Amino acid sequence: MRAKIFVLWAAAILACDAAFAEPILVTDQYGRKTELQKPAERIVTVPIPAASMTIALDEGPSRLAGINPSAKQALKEGILSKFFPKALDLNSDIVMGEGFSPNVETLLNLNPDVVFQWGDRGSDIVKPIEAARLPVILLKYGTQEDLETWIGMFGVVLGKSERADKILAWHREERAALDKAVSAIPREKRPKILYLYRYGDGIKIGGKGSYFDYFIKMSGGVNPAEDAPSEGQINEEQLLAWDPDIILLNGFQSSLSPDDIYANKNFTGVEAVKNRHVYKMPLGGYRWDPPNQESPLMWKWLAMLAHPDTFNWNLRADIARAYSFLYSQTPTDEDIDGILRMSMNAAAANYGRFARASN
Amino acid sequence: MRRRFFLAAFVLMCMAGALSAGRYVVPFKNVCGILASLLAPIEPWWTDIQYRVVVLIRLPRVLGAALSGAALAMSGAALQSVLKNPLVSPQIIGVSSGAAFGGVLAILFFENAFATMGCAYLGGILALFLVWCLCNGARGASPLGLVLAGIVINAFFTALISLIEYVADPYNKLPAIVVWLMGSFASASWDKLRYSAPPLLTAAALLYFLRFRIGVLSLGSEEARALGIDIQRTQWLVLGLVALVASATVAMAGVVGWIGLVVPHFTRIFVGDDYKRLIPLSCLLGTLYTVLIDTLARTLIEVEIPMGILSALVGTPLFAFLTYRLMKGEEGR
Repeated sequence: MRAKIFVLWAAAILACDAAFAEPILVTDQYGRKTELQKPAERIVTVPIPAASMTIALDEGPSRLAGINPSAKQALKEGILSKFFPKALDLNSDIVMGEGFSPNVETLLNLNPDVVFQWGDRGSDIVKPIEAARLPVILLKYGTQEDLETWIGMFGVVLGKSERADKILAWHREERAALDKAVSAIPREKRPKILYLYRYGDGIKIGGKGSYFDYFIKMSGGVNPAEDAPSEGQINEEQLLAWDPDIILLNGFQSSLSPDDIYANKNFTGVEAVKNRHVYKMPLGGYRWDPPNQESPLMWKWLAMLAHPDTFNWNLRADIARAYSFLYSQTPTDEDIDGILRMSMNAAAANYGRFARASN
Repeated sequence: MRRRFFLAAFVLMCMAGALSAGRYVVPFKNVCGILASLLAPIEPWWTDIQYRVVVLIRLPRVLGAALSGAALAMSGAALQSVLKNPLVSPQIIGVSSGAAFGGVLAILFFENAFATMGCAYLGGILALFLVWCLCNGARGASPLGLVLAGIVINAFFTALISLIEYVADPYNKLPAIVVWLMGSFASASWDKLRYSAPPLLTAAALLYFLRFRIGVLSLGSEEARALGIDIQRTQWLVLGLVALVASATVAMAGVVGWIGLVVPHFTRIFVGDDYKRLIPLSCLLGTLYTVLIDTLARTLIEVEIPMGILSALVGTPLFAFLTYRLMKGEEGR
């Protein structure tokens, strides 16, 4: 009897708590509204960058219930698995195979308060989650504005809006400063920067409307592929015709390194190859190429490579400062070497400025 | 014969034209000079990059497209007559998907273009072997049985390819697999050509010399036997050659569809069922067609257009028009 009364009492308390707490209303990037009774405790993120973003906003992975297998791979290759070893135990069976098709039975088992999913990849990956009556928040991929909206939304869902505002302020501040500095650089002094989204069987580039195009221009470069489709496939001859001054290699293909480009005999005449201006994109809390919480660091990294005489920040110190804010952790010198991929980029020109000794 | 000679000259001219087309501007005069310099020592008046574009990038690609187109069209023609079925192509007997499976498996486990090529050959041969087993060995395989066995094996390997695509890492592996399956000569190089050209040339030459037997087989087994031709042996010989062609093409450029099915039909509009002429003419038209499509694929816009799309967009209307004229002609008779 006593036990029963206790249960009733506890239930009543909980009910009151839920009734009086202000519900959280989230409007996602597709105008869909989701109501949460309180900040989410169990979160599943299907989009890959959303995992590390949750970790950054929440200063740890404790509220993540499931993440994309590729996000787990990025955690493993990057620094976050060192900062938060528990992140590697996170469930990553939330999608079927590789990709974004939700594995609804796993989702139901994880019993999340909210599921983040892509909204721009068709309804087939959203409908099954909705059918299971799980709250879904949809994300849109692409611009810096979209990224800023994500940060705000994650802040609301986690009940960490203040922290989100701080991250946003940092992004906007760095962006405004860089925009101002870059606008003073005449167009003819801006190098042609080509981002290779894939290299191997076929070459894919970052074209029109992509985040890659955005950060190239923002960091004071010209994107020779600005009119090509976003992730279009080109041939080697087109690369020769564009003759970029700088080539950026994506961080997705783990083993792709500048040496692969230098070894291609067909590219010997290309400016970027002649001058050893082929760089592998860094990998920190997440791969630096797509939009993510660390993006301002990437803009500065690229601006320093594009305009070595104009920009001279202490990037290593910036990274350390940003990490102690984002993850409440201090990276060691070895960590920063790994983030900047010092060994892969060892042979590259202008890269010595990121080395330890110069700081 | 004379007409065929002119056609061959025309095909060669088109290939030279293809060498001067591309996103990197190289004046035609320089292309001619560069080509001539390969045969005789000439003082160069062109830049080093122009030389590289023509010799290292365009030449292997045009040659690869030409060889594959020729060999695929010839194998299609041979296969259609040996199996007495106008609807078959190298893809239908399962060899292409077997080779594609081998290649995809290699992309998944190795990061080496030559492992991919080697596995493509193994996959193609394995597929043919399975077809042979299904047909109860070399004895008593009817053309219909062969086609059915091919369809079964094709379905099997297609399913295996889908399985691999399903489990492949979406960032490190899947894009390479998708690009490769779509079929493109974009990654053709002298190295790849070195491993693909000998089997393609050998198979094409043998198909050319076998054209009489192939023609007889298409007439029917009675006639063939009357002429003292071992039907089974010829049939399997042709199938083996087709498997070699399909694997070599897949190894170089991924799955290139359509050519083996359509070009022979296209050729038949001009020469009818005359097999002595069908195979050589298919060879020329296959070369012409593939080089043309591949040149469009790499030059029209900044990005590569997948061959399958262009092939269907350019080929279908042309083929539809010719079929329409042919049927109208038959009606009038």
